[in-house]
Amino acid sequence: MEDSDHPARILLVDDEDYLRNGVKRILQIEGFEVETAENGAEGIKKGTEFDFDVALLDLKMPDISGIEVLRMIRQARPNTICFMATAYASYETAVEATKLGAEGYILKPFTPDELIHNIEKGLQKRRLILEAERLKADREARLLELAFERSRLNTIINLLADGVLVINQFGEMVYYNPAALRYLDLDVILLAEEILEILPPEVKEIAQRMISKEKFEVMGESVQFKLSSNPDMFVEVTCSPIPDHDRKKIAGIVIVAKNITQFKEIEQLKSQFVSMVSHELKAPVAATIGFLDILLNPKMKLTDHQRSDFLNRSTARLRSLLTMVNDLLDISRIELNTVKREIVKIDLASLVQETVEMMQFEAAKKNITIKFSAGEIPFTIEADRLEIERVITNLMSNAVKYNKTDGEVLVSLKKKGAYIILEIKDTGIGLKPEEKNRLFSEFFRAKNEFTKSIHGTGLGLSIVKKTIDYYSGKIESESEYGKGTTFRVFLPEKILNK
Amino acid sequence: MNYEKKILLVDDDIDILEQNKILFEAEGYTVETAETSNDGYEKFLTFKPACAVIDLMMEEYDSGFVLAHKLKRHPLGKKMPVYIVTAVANQTGLQFESMTPEEQEWINADDILNKPVEIEEILSRISDFYENQSG
Repeated sequence: MEDSDHPARILLVDDEDYLRNGVKRILQIEGFEVETAENGAEGIKKGTEFDFDVALLDLKMPDISGIEVLRMIRQARPNTICFMATAYASYETAVEATKLGAEGYILKPFTPDELIHNIEKGLQKRRLILEAERLKADREARLLELAFERSRLNTIINLLADGVLVINQFGEMVYYNPAALRYLDLDVILLAEEILEILPPEVKEIAQRMISKEKFEVMGESVQFKLSSNPDMFVEVTCSPIPDHDRKKIAGIVIVAKNITQFKEIEQLKSQFVSMVSHELKAPVAATIGFLDILLNPKMKLTDHQRSDFLNRSTARLRSLLTMVNDLLDISRIELNTVKREIVKIDLASLVQETVEMMQFEAAKKNITIKFSAGEIPFTIEADRLEIERVITNLMSNAVKYNKTDGEVLVSLKKKGAYIILEIKDTGIGLKPEEKNRLFSEFFRAKNEFTKSIHGTGLGLSIVKKTIDYYSGKIESESEYGKGTTFRVFLPEKILNK
Repeated sequence: MNYEKKILLVDDDIDILEQNKILFEAEGYTVETAETSNDGYEKFLTFKPACAVIDLMMEEYDSGFVLAHKLKRHPLGKKMPVYIVTAVANQTGLQFESMTPEEQEWINADDILNKPVEIEEILSRISDFYENQSG
């Protein structure tokens, strides 16, 4: 086959030696690559085995006629351009040769110029044929690619989590994916089925209005609603008009349905949290204002003791309010990951010992004994000192606050694998089973006859949990109502990927 | 209609409880207080008040509703006003009027009032209540 960096290949089939050699030389001088065959059989063999650019076939040969050689070559190599060479061409053979696809006749004897002229013509034709072949192959490959692309697009749309439904300007279904059925509350739908009537009313209203518009406008419209078949599911449906080819009229509508149930749940959680925070912030303010109103009311006959009591209690409430605001800010700093930390090696044993000593004063009020035991081995972790101190203080102060008079707090440090375990066990009031799940959530405070006089923000354990989470540790609790609670904190010795 | 000036206050905030106690006492009321729903119900049975003012959020977010329900179904509680007070009504849009009739019927409180509540407001509601009863 001819290509740009290879000379054209030519097959020469002739039984006459001098002619074969003469022609071969002429063509080689012109830069062609020439293969020769001295009889029909050899011609057929060579011509069918290899895709020559041009073949020059002698019509009259002793074994097999040139016509037969032509037929065989054309059959196997339809793109080889074949010329018949003969001294006397009859009309019949000319017709037959042409029928079989011969390019032309070269009459013997021929001059080198005649020969080369014909060969060049043949090569030109060959180039055109090959180019056409190449284009055809290209086109087929592209069609294949297109078909593949289309089926891939189908697969993608079918797998989309969002529902997609396309309708034309007559309100007939053109395309949909399985999710569309789910989020638009539809059973099976058929191609070209008129679909407006069976769409949820919220969607039908928008689609109908959109289709009835004369002019195309780039304007989508969304609506959120609960599915009538499943009121737990919230969906958001967006309808967008599709323009026709000249972008003047509406060709149809793409309807995309999204499951926004989770989003709605988060939204609800958020507003619950906001209302809870508001309530918690309002309570101390209301209590303080209440005391001040009474103190400022001239009609109230108060004793000196009452006056100082009310002022002290107001101060206490405002202080707890301040603590709560600080705790809230800490929580949001932890959640937004804007806490400034200074990671250092901390000797946990001495930190716990310091905290135990700090707690003694508070513990003594209820005659509570705090015992701390740790082995001789070093208990070091990598963390921010203030944060860890806060975790320990929080848990220990809970163990004291929620303890009974004459109770005990047992603190210990152990090592397990790459973790240090801090255990704080109290003989306090314990938790009811239903309270355990809510232990680490914001504003949770066990409320019962034991705890009513205990002040707290309900944010301490939430901060503890979030801090421990940050250090890839964990916190466990065991509790029996009326008997006591044990907290176990696991902290890694080496800080991980921070 | 005459009524004994006895009021039961139920609130888990001991400061608020004490303030209201002083204020109602200044108005000539005998006041009984309770810090939990259970305690509130016990005191209601022994104290036999002419009115109960209950905080909504105590042990649970709806403790006040449950207590009101219990009081209003007791023969002694049927003929007295029960008011629920709450600080969250503003934020949550909780309004007694906007509740379903079934919910109102179940809770059966005479009203839900926003904290902080003026003592005068409650006093005038109590006197209106008993005036309507006699009329």
